[in-house]
Amino acid sequence: MSYAYLFKYIIIGDTGVGKSCLLLQFTDKRFQPVHDLTIGVEFGARMITIDGKQIKLQIWDTAGQEAFRSITRSYYRGAAGALLVYDITRRETFNHLTTWLEDARQHSNSNMVIMLIGNKSDLDSRREVKKEEGEAFAREHGLVFMETSARTAANVEEAFINTAKEIYEKIQEGVFDINNEANGIKIGQQHSPTNPSLPGSGGAAGAANSGCC
Amino acid sequence: MFSNFKERFMTALAPDLPPLPSNDRSDHHHRRFGGQQMPDKFPYARPPFLQLLTADELRASADHNVRPIIVPRDINLLPWGTCLPPSASTRRRVSKDELIIGALESAFFSMDSLIAQDSNRYRDAGGCTACVSLFIDGKMYVANAGDSRAVLCQRRANQPTEPKDSSVIEPDPLEASCYPVPFSADHTPETERERLLNVARLKPHLMANHYVAMEYAKRPHIKDMGQRILCRQGTMKGWTYKTLTRDDLRMPVVNGEGKRSRLLGTLGVSRGFGDHELLAINTGIQIKPFLTPHPDVRQRDLTQVVSIPDEHNQDGDYGVLVMATDGLWDVSENEAVSRTVFQTLSKYPTEKHRYTMVAQELVARARGKINDSGHWRLADSKAAATVDDISVIVIPVYQYYKEHIEWTQNYTRDLEKRRRRAQANMAQEAQEGNLLNGVIAEEAHVEEEEEDGEVVVLEAKAQIQSEPLQLPHAEAEEVLVVEISTSPEQSESRESAASTGTATATADEEASVTAPASQRDSATVAQQQQQRSRKGNKGKH
Repeated sequence: MSYAYLFKYIIIGDTGVGKSCLLLQFTDKRFQPVHDLTIGVEFGARMITIDGKQIKLQIWDTAGQEAFRSITRSYYRGAAGALLVYDITRRETFNHLTTWLEDARQHSNSNMVIMLIGNKSDLDSRREVKKEEGEAFAREHGLVFMETSARTAANVEEAFINTAKEIYEKIQEGVFDINNEANGIKIGQQHSPTNPSLPGSGGAAGAANSGCC
Repeated sequence: MFSNFKERFMTALAPDLPPLPSNDRSDHHHRRFGGQQMPDKFPYARPPFLQLLTADELRASADHNVRPIIVPRDINLLPWGTCLPPSASTRRRVSKDELIIGALESAFFSMDSLIAQDSNRYRDAGGCTACVSLFIDGKMYVANAGDSRAVLCQRRANQPTEPKDSSVIEPDPLEASCYPVPFSADHTPETERERLLNVARLKPHLMANHYVAMEYAKRPHIKDMGQRILCRQGTMKGWTYKTLTRDDLRMPVVNGEGKRSRLLGTLGVSRGFGDHELLAINTGIQIKPFLTPHPDVRQRDLTQVVSIPDEHNQDGDYGVLVMATDGLWDVSENEAVSRTVFQTLSKYPTEKHRYTMVAQELVARARGKINDSGHWRLADSKAAATVDDISVIVIPVYQYYKEHIEWTQNYTRDLEKRRRRAQANMAQEAQEGNLLNGVIAEEAHVEEEEEDGEVVVLEAKAQIQSEPLQLPHAEAEEVLVVEISTSPEQSESRESAASTGTATATADEEASVTAPASQRDSATVAQQQQQRSRKGNKGKH
């Protein structure tokens, strides 16, 4: 299926905060209570629509364990968006956010959009981190914030889509150099003026088409 | 049009022959589908056990900027194959070992001819190296053809440390206690120079005046013409003199040194599967006659390994087998690999996925890190990391052996139970004075066994065994007189066939990694890397 843009995302955060479950909920709309440890990196993808444009999200789900940290670092490269996830029922996962953020800032391109996510909002009775704390951390570091539940699917769509919206806005503002794939953005065929015969190249690329024949 | 005519003509002459590959048709295809003259046998894919099932996952895993390390999510999906050892025939004095080695060897040849058949039917016929390990009957066999490599990483148990002078800086215990044992030999034009030169000497028409089957102590120059130079040919071990002629100025069959050595100036590997259509650069000479799928097979009798349970050094004593493509070995010494293996294992002593972590760690180190100018560099030095693909399989040998022991013990116990039951039945029936029935019961018993599974027990032999033996190994020797319904050849070639599909998939410059922690007793793991066909044509290999 053709798309106007492809955004590469990376999901990071401590082990057991629900990164893989968030991905599964977003791509497959299901929840798996027992999820095996992610060892290396796993991939997911889904098409979304923003501003009438088809955008494909290619999501890299990483291992949260400390043991894999150095390998995870190598996957920041070329990501347009990052979901930094903590578990609202485990204070220490919130405390580690600074380290994750440093890692992300150091190894990614400076325009990467980072969304802070407090996951497991359905477990409010076991909550250890207040929503206000998450909001404050996000404000302080210039992140977008949201609480989600991979179990109930609350805010999961929004988390992924809002991040995409932010990236899309940055593209419109000209912040991202969309021709540099290291920025984690790829222009799809819907945009390609060099392939006028391909289906799906109408619409967004219509203007470009008119110029070529 | 002409091809069409030719085809009709040939069909009329020899209607039994399959139609000729039609140029006419392929030309049309060429125009229509951009060179895809034949269908793909396997679409571009990863091995099924990596579970990269959707096109999106596949694409992400092939990100050349990041070169992600792919690990299997579920090792139970690895292509396990379980089989029993063949029974040794005493007539021709063929040992069980020889049967197993022969099965591996013939599987390699079968695989190669399978690829040859496919190359006439499918697009993108390439070639690959192959490294296979087989655990069977308490032994480990490693068969290798090409420049992939298997290394058994071992470690001596820690000596009980006596309180020493604390001022002495002790050497890194890992450094001193780890040691690699090679379980394969790389087959490159350089290491196989003797065989290749001999093929060329015996069949000079294969070179068609383009090459010279000679090795020179010094590269011959036109200015040396007429002078005497040191050379050797064929299987010669020493050097001799000859007068330099114009023929000596041709390209040698094997040129270059080390990793850069090339066969017919083209290919960097001298054994493996496929490449039936590969032609040498510039000369267009067929390369396949010089290649062979014949593997070297090495074995290790795990029943002979001494491992003291109290030392908890099973991984060190039995070893951890690392099988990997040249992407790993080009930048890592065997010693460094064995250190990494045990460093990682001792760092994560209880981790469920620790062997997978070892494999990932090995790939990560060989892949290195990308620097600001976009070059991949090794982490511990500034040296260039490999841009080749890297596939690593880590096999904890002891886990296989342990299962073998358990399996043997269960099997023996089961057999003993059945025997007692049969004897009891016989005794009872004999008491009833009906001997005939006893015999019939015995026959029925044997038949039952046949139906039960793949195993046909030579009942008579088991019966002679009057008292249970104590040693599990001895039991194994006595009891495992069995036949298999699936011959190792068959299972092997299936194994290889399954892997070949994946071989084309990992052709690019990515890293992938596999680490089976053993869950089965006798399992075969085949690993191959397709990498040569196009690169070979470009002369990169």
